Amino acid sequence: MPQLRRTLGKAQGALPALLVLGVFFFFPFLEVIRFSTWRWSGLSQPTPVGLANYRELFADPIFLQSVKATLIFAALTLPAFLTFSLLVALALEGQRYERVVKGILFLPGLVTVGAASTSWYTLFAPEYGALASFLPIPAWDQAPFWAMIMVVAFTLWRYLGYGVLVVSAHLKSIPRAVLEAAMVDGASGLEVTRYVVLPLLRPAVLFLTVVGTVLALQSYVAVFLLTRGGPYGATRVLGYLIYELGFENFRLGYAAAVTVVMLVLTVAVAWAQGRLLEER
Amino acid sequence: MRHAFVWGIVALVLLPFLWMAYAAFLPPEIVYSGDLRSGIGFTWENIQKLAPEGFWGHLGFSLIASGAAALLQLATGLPAAYALWNGAPFWGLFLFTLAIPAELLLVPLYGVLLGLRLLDSPWALVLPFAASPFTIMLIYQGLRGLPFTLVEAARIDGAGEGRILFGVVAPLLTPNLIAAGVLAFAAHWNLVLFPRVVVGERFWTVQVWIADLARRYPADWGLLSAAALLSTLPLVLIYLVFERKIVETFEGSIKG
Repeated sequence: MPQLRRTLGKAQGALPALLVLGVFFFFPFLEVIRFSTWRWSGLSQPTPVGLANYRELFADPIFLQSVKATLIFAALTLPAFLTFSLLVALALEGQRYERVVKGILFLPGLVTVGAASTSWYTLFAPEYGALASFLPIPAWDQAPFWAMIMVVAFTLWRYLGYGVLVVSAHLKSIPRAVLEAAMVDGASGLEVTRYVVLPLLRPAVLFLTVVGTVLALQSYVAVFLLTRGGPYGATRVLGYLIYELGFENFRLGYAAAVTVVMLVLTVAVAWAQGRLLEER
Repeated sequence: MRHAFVWGIVALVLLPFLWMAYAAFLPPEIVYSGDLRSGIGFTWENIQKLAPEGFWGHLGFSLIASGAAALLQLATGLPAAYALWNGAPFWGLFLFTLAIPAELLLVPLYGVLLGLRLLDSPWALVLPFAASPFTIMLIYQGLRGLPFTLVEAARIDGAGEGRILFGVVAPLLTPNLIAAGVLAFAAHWNLVLFPRVVVGERFWTVQVWIADLARRYPADWGLLSAAALLSTLPLVLIYLVFERKIVETFEGSIKG
């Protein structure tokens, strides 16, 4: 008993936070499973339909297309995110302007996403855009490929600063002696980077890969703001599909089933994240 | 070479910001010509046109809602982080919630808010964000940088836990609290889909409002940029003031 009381005493401070998370996180987390067995428009009374939503889901071409769009999005975003984070962090290391540049690169991630997308839109729109009159802007409102590139570029723009910070923090923890030893052994600057620094950055790359994957699963605000899933569903990633099904088609039960699939994926990735990060 | 590369990237990152600041003051003649090279000019007109569209109301409402959410997160996050520091066994639980953002729970949250009869009320924008695992984590990182003997000494002196937390620990943690507060504010400020779904037009945040404005006037660079610029300004100003602390706090949280 005294043991239990001590634990409770320690935990007291966490109660308000736990209460909020309980009502607005854990409870919805369980509720969504129940919702996913309903046919429900959000306005009318729900009808229980068992597993019908799931059966429909796995045969739904729109869902399958959305899975494909999400994978393409991740396959384009992740390598570019990792490459640029590494390149910029390495190029910045030890420069006089390092701090200033990091501050600037971090800015897009913080500022108003709606404003940022508006600015992108007015700049890059193929017909009304400011650049369209003197640069050949691809018609990304009609070409599925370019629409995807646009969403990827916007996402990279927003998160590059974060990636650079992560790599840079790890770079700083590499002891100078290691680099100097390699130099003494006759390695060139490029060789040191390739054979000494990059392998030592493995944990940072691993961390960014996992964070990036979770982000890729969840990046749909950019889609909502720039392309609305179009053209022809080419950029309708899973996160956006949930919004569209639930709140534009008013099929909340069906959207809940997609949410469950997303949650399973996210939890699996987060679990893998825990495992990978423990190894470092 | 490396200088050119870095500054090239910086230029690309800054381009949308510079454009926003330039286009916000662009006279309508240039906008309607559709060609930037047709001239240069300066006008306040775009900003004046924002008022009848309802910009200021939504901006003010957003400031209040995001401010309230950030303050609540600090109020719930500080004692929660303190409890973790004292060895409360919730770390795994918070880490789990960290992986799943509120916007992914859009559908069930809608259902829960419906059940609580909170839909279409300002509370729907604030209460679900009254605690955030991310804020708790940032404050906890800061706490771990303090010597625990501080707490033990205060306990021996007979101070209560509340006194220790708010009288001894919190003042030492002010920079971290500010950084966590700014990041919490920014995260809430940037919600788009969630406010759009749970409240009607009356309580739209400025983000949702701008997204809607962009649909209504897709070709009016001046008006859109003015709205974008003014809605970004509060965050940029806060960020510039606390930039060093925010970047440091972030780096600290990465190193873990």
